[in-house]
Amino acid sequence: MKEVIAIPNVNEGKEKHRKINPSIQRVLLGSIVPVLLILAWEYLSRVGVFPPHLLPAPSIILQSLMTMTSDGSLWTHTSITLYRLVLGFLFGTVAALIIGAAVGYFSTVESLLDPLIQAFRSIPSLAWVPLFILWMGIGEPSKVVLIAVGVFFPVYLNIVSGIQGIDRKLIEVGKIYHFSSLQLIRKIILPAALPSFLVGLRSGLGLGWMFVVAAELMGASTGIGYLLVYGQNTYAPELIISSIVLFAILGKITDAILKRLETKTLHWQDTIVKK
Amino acid sequence: MLSIERVSRTFSNGTTGFKNIELKVEQGEVIGILGTSGCGKSTLLRVLSGLDKQYDGRVVIDDETVHDVHKKIGMIFQEPRLMPWLKVHDNIGFGLQKKEQSKIAQYIKAVGLEGFENHYPKDLSGGMAQRVAIARALVTSPEILLLDEPFSALDAFTKMQLQDLLLNLWQTYQSTILLVTHDIDEALYLADRIIILRGQPGEVYQEIKIEKSKPRSRGDQDLAALKDEILQLLDLSQPKAI
Repeated sequence: MKEVIAIPNVNEGKEKHRKINPSIQRVLLGSIVPVLLILAWEYLSRVGVFPPHLLPAPSIILQSLMTMTSDGSLWTHTSITLYRLVLGFLFGTVAALIIGAAVGYFSTVESLLDPLIQAFRSIPSLAWVPLFILWMGIGEPSKVVLIAVGVFFPVYLNIVSGIQGIDRKLIEVGKIYHFSSLQLIRKIILPAALPSFLVGLRSGLGLGWMFVVAAELMGASTGIGYLLVYGQNTYAPELIISSIVLFAILGKITDAILKRLETKTLHWQDTIVKK
Repeated sequence: MLSIERVSRTFSNGTTGFKNIELKVEQGEVIGILGTSGCGKSTLLRVLSGLDKQYDGRVVIDDETVHDVHKKIGMIFQEPRLMPWLKVHDNIGFGLQKKEQSKIAQYIKAVGLEGFENHYPKDLSGGMAQRVAIARALVTSPEILLLDEPFSALDAFTKMQLQDLLLNLWQTYQSTILLVTHDIDEALYLADRIIILRGQPGEVYQEIKIEKSKPRSRGDQDLAALKDEILQLLDLSQPKAI
């Protein structure tokens, strides 16, 4: 029973770490349902309602996570997955930022590039996988590129719509000061488009996680996604569920980081007065 | 200083904008441009500022024909148009180069905003925001300052305060000012010369010189008489045939 309590404790610690809402009451309130569900799950597993070879008890999952932590494999897999994600996320975001800023600002660039990008967007990104593997092999580049492609589109779309929604009146202020196009973009357009850029980042991150799993499912010898496949092949449901739990925790942490960034950089917004 | 030679700007339907405006402005002069709505006052300022380039005629600043936004021009808009992500200090320094940033403090003082340097625009009142906008326009030391109904969104008291502020600043910095307004009192209080635009598209209907020295009294008898005259010139009584 002791370990069972440990899981909501992890959540609690994380909530505190995020500092979004320090009120403990809310954290406790939010953990009631998960705790009850885990307790019920543990109980039903112990009395044999859930067959252990399909759905092992939470304590067993925790045990497998602990074993992985102690033998260091948890860190190996987590770090390689994070490495791929961060790299792909960076490439995708930078590309989206540059192209999105140009498309949003110059109408010629928009008519030049936007139709093409929209056409590419309608291709399900996973369809690229075979091509990328063919081009770049099964190593890191193909995975990173796939993630970058996944991150690119939500960030791009949000930047373009953010820029096109900017108040022309602010841009006129820049024109009065003889700003060049580059200065206009840097000093007015990008800051003004920042709110929608951050929205794009967060949805881009969500897609990034999706694609990191896809990339690792399709051919990898390390990474959390690989653990999923490995668990399936070795008939180890606790490994699969452990990986899923890891994804949940990491996804939440990375999203919390972005959310924190959002509140930090957008404190000038009149709307962000939420406590 | 600034001369406007037969400048016209009309829009596709032909009834808005202005036409054939002739005006010569001397260094340090304050020109009030009065007119009812739709006679092209704001459009005139946009043309002069260089934001609107689709006009006929010639705008000349110091023997130089203007094709783009001119270095010597500063503009204050009807709304403050502050960058919401910048603090007051950085908003004022918005148009400055990095090495000129030291000038900001002086202008913060000039518009009476000491202590508010680190506030964001969302925390300012309308009057304070407009003060920031005034400081931002002045800090680049423009020789010609264009004001487009700068105080029209403010309450009566704030408006009077800012008119006095503008007057003080004008006395300190001696810039040439073109003030578009629909407030006759404001024009009478600040301007050396009032240009009355009328018609659609607007044309110069009358020019009134006010010799009285500034600062003027707001309750001045002569100005009150002038106000009556202007009201008649603007011909507000006649119902418009639509």
